Amino acid sequence: MKNLYPLSLLALALAANGTTARAQDLAFVACPIVQDTPSVPCWLTEYEGELYYMGVQSDVSAPFNPPWLGHMALVEGTPSATGERICGGLVLDPVRVAVMPEMSPECDERLVAEPGYVLPFEPRRPPGPSSGRLAFSPPQPPPPPEPPFEPRTFPVYFPFEGAVNFQTPGALGEILDYARAVGAERIEVTGYRAAVLLTDGTVLEERSGLAELRAGQVARMFEGLVDSVEEIDVVFDEAAEPGDWQDRRVDVRVIP
Amino acid sequence: MTVKPRLSHLLLGVAVTSFGWQAVTAQSTDEAAAAIAADAGDLPNGGTAWWEPGEGRPIPEAIEYDNDHGRLRLYNVDGEVVTEGHPFFEPLGPNGRACVSCHQPADGMSLSLRSIRERWEETGGSDPIFAPIDGANCPNLPQGEEASHTLLLERGLFRIGLPWPPRDPWGEGTIEPEFTLEVVRDPGGCNTDPEYGLDSANPTVSVYRRPRMVANLPYVVHRNFGIGPFVGKTGEPALRDPENGEPVNMNLMADARVPTLGTQASDAAANHLQLLRGLSRAERAQITDMQGQLFAAQVYDNVAGDLLAGPGGNAFGPENLAHGDIGFLGNNTTRWVFPVADEWAEPQPGLTEEQNERRASIWRGQQIFHFRTFWISDSMHLNTVGLGNPVKRTCATCHGMHMTGLDTANGWMDIGTTNLPWAREVPLNPWTDEEELMPLFRVTCRDDVPPHPFLGRVIYTQDPGRALISGRCNDVGTIVMQQFRAFAARAPYFSNGSAANIREVIDFYDRRYNIQYSEQEKTDLENFLATL
Ligand code: HEC
Ligand code: HEC
Repeated sequence: MKNLYPLSLLALALAANGTTARAQDLAFVACPIVQDTPSVPCWLTEYEGELYYMGVQSDVSAPFNPPWLGHMALVEGTPSATGERICGGLVLDPVRVAVMPEMSPECDERLVAEPGYVLPFEPRRPPGPSSGRLAFSPPQPPPPPEPPFEPRTFPVYFPFEGAVNFQTPGALGEILDYARAVGAERIEVTGYRAAVLLTDGTVLEERSGLAELRAGQVARMFEGLVDSVEEIDVVFDEAAEPGDWQDRRVDVRVIP
Repeated sequence: MTVKPRLSHLLLGVAVTSFGWQAVTAQSTDEAAAAIAADAGDLPNGGTAWWEPGEGRPIPEAIEYDNDHGRLRLYNVDGEVVTEGHPFFEPLGPNGRACVSCHQPADGMSLSLRSIRERWEETGGSDPIFAPIDGANCPNLPQGEEASHTLLLERGLFRIGLPWPPRDPWGEGTIEPEFTLEVVRDPGGCNTDPEYGLDSANPTVSVYRRPRMVANLPYVVHRNFGIGPFVGKTGEPALRDPENGEPVNMNLMADARVPTLGTQASDAAANHLQLLRGLSRAERAQITDMQGQLFAAQVYDNVAGDLLAGPGGNAFGPENLAHGDIGFLGNNTTRWVFPVADEWAEPQPGLTEEQNERRASIWRGQQIFHFRTFWISDSMHLNTVGLGNPVKRTCATCHGMHMTGLDTANGWMDIGTTNLPWAREVPLNPWTDEEELMPLFRVTCRDDVPPHPFLGRVIYTQDPGRALISGRCNDVGTIVMQQFRAFAARAPYFSNGSAANIREVIDFYDRRYNIQYSEQEKTDLENFLATL
């Protein structure tokens, strides 16, 4: 594999992240960079002089959804311990990327295809039409629940600053199945918002009111979908403690 | 009521899955092939004839109409349609219009600008299509004067008056929009009119839109791939069919404001026909029954000749549409968006060199549509659904539905046809005295909602599209695409008629996404689109 960028500043980047909980994790806000290839483009970003690889373009089913030029991205990821590079960027894996809502016109870097560069793997989805299936199959649905039916809580996660979006319906499927199977009488929706401690020590907080918005939007999605439900309660907690992606969520409690 | 694929389609669907799509060619043995094989010369040709409301002649099972690029065929799966007494064809309301007034057989069941102009000339502006309610820039303008009908006469646009703020589709009352709406320019005068405008007793926004095809509708209202209780692109709850509570796919009209063909028909009767009593249940059913079995597509190209000649032209003609798989996402193995086999493009014996060359060009155009990548950027509800901005993809990415190029899922998107800076606007300069026809609105998003991701908090638009229904900032200028059929019969294109011909559509995309098509690529793509 051919590197597009020298490895030079890796040491520096690793030294800088001593401030996060886990020594090797990074959390930063930076412009995304799109790097073309003869196949699908790579998505990169630069932090403290190092170029990082986040993923490639694929389709809606992919766990990695590329960010947007014109916006900064919040990147939370673990740099490859083996120094693996794709498209010249040090691989972040796992990685979570969220698009920052405000516009950042300065994020407009498009790198043309490096002649001769070939992705080290076959992309799951070519840039043209698909071969008839999604790039990533959804997880197998769990077996139908059996009595006695217990109240169960399901988390629904959101990207930083995000509310209900194209991914939410997928996350609700399992909850709806459970609620229908157990003939749920009540659904309790609790919204949260969170903050994130960046590698440079800054705390970035989601906007206030987001916990309420998330809970309200999710509750509305259940309306009229489960015949047995008599009540949908909506609560929210606007405290925004620094934490990780699992704190940006709504809990849906299904009560038989 | 909703349209379900008929039994014959379902049976054919089985055949298609077991033999692959190559099975359904002009040479295969089933009923589709029998109909296709009918020599074009045997079918009645309606020329470019205008249908008067209430004229009562039946529409045969199959009939063809001439247009600039070739010939369109309408195909009624259930056989001849008796139009006498039929609510789609009779002038039910006081203004003399029928549905057929604006959905003309020769124009692919839409209405071309050419037909509109011809009607103006032939009737001195008295044809019911020019009725003041929506056939004029504003109802209170002096009738019979061209100046009162410029949007219809120059761009083929009818006025659509929508309540502002939007009605709550889930309950009583209105919803609180995420933005304020101001009128910046109003050449038609209706948005600022004290009786009809935004500040009137019934605050109304007037936007101006093209009619849409009333054929191949089972594809438009399918409930197959991607359709569920939520809108796939945003997660919001999908509209429901009032008859049975089932979620619908929300691909009707430029803004998906009506859930079903039945509610659409009632809406059209009240607004276009000014039918105060409303449609009866039986009338509605008669209309939707007809809509469920009527298919339309080109069958003949002026240069290439019979599009159904030779093997593998499965994309062409209404019979292939009638018997196609409805509501499937196209792909590159089993169901192309527009299946045209390689063999179709090989020189066919019995055709002239010119005909064979044009077939090769049409095939290349089909390949460009499917495979020629470019950077799709800043397009709301496409770049925002997990693909990234920009995404390197093709025309088929957005126009993905097998046989129609519709969006398979609930589909409104902003490609810049109505939002500035991409919308067509008359340039302000001393060398032109052309005046802009379209209204211009300023949308200002509230501070407590996130800005529009690509246009910010202040957006200028000729038609806020879906946002006039949803009240959402992110929906400003999003438009539900139309099916890729009968293009040759129904120019101009886009919901605001801003592309006068197919080449202007291609040029719009070339500019919008910096595609850098070669001249040859543009020609091939144009030749291909003209055959659908
Ligand atoms: C005055 C012209 C006019 C008349 C008369 C008219 N329509 Fe339409 N029709 C339109 C316009 C304009 C649109 C597109 C509106 C929009 O996008 O907001 C449309 C859209 C439609 C659509 C949507 C198709 C699609 O794919 O989205 C259907 C179906 C339809 N009309 C059926 C009817 C029926 C049924 C009648 C008679 C009851 C009728 N129309 C009468 C102008 C007309
Ligand atoms: C980002 C999604 C997207 C992509 C990519 C895209 N389109 Fe479209 N297309 C749309 C939407 C949305 C509309 C409806 C716009 C309107 O009516 O204002 C549309 C409308 C059209 C129409 C007009 C339909 C009519 O009946 O008036 C044509 C023709 C068309 N597209 C062709 C193409 C071609 C050719 C390409 C590739 C160069 C392409 N499109 C790429 C989304 C897309």
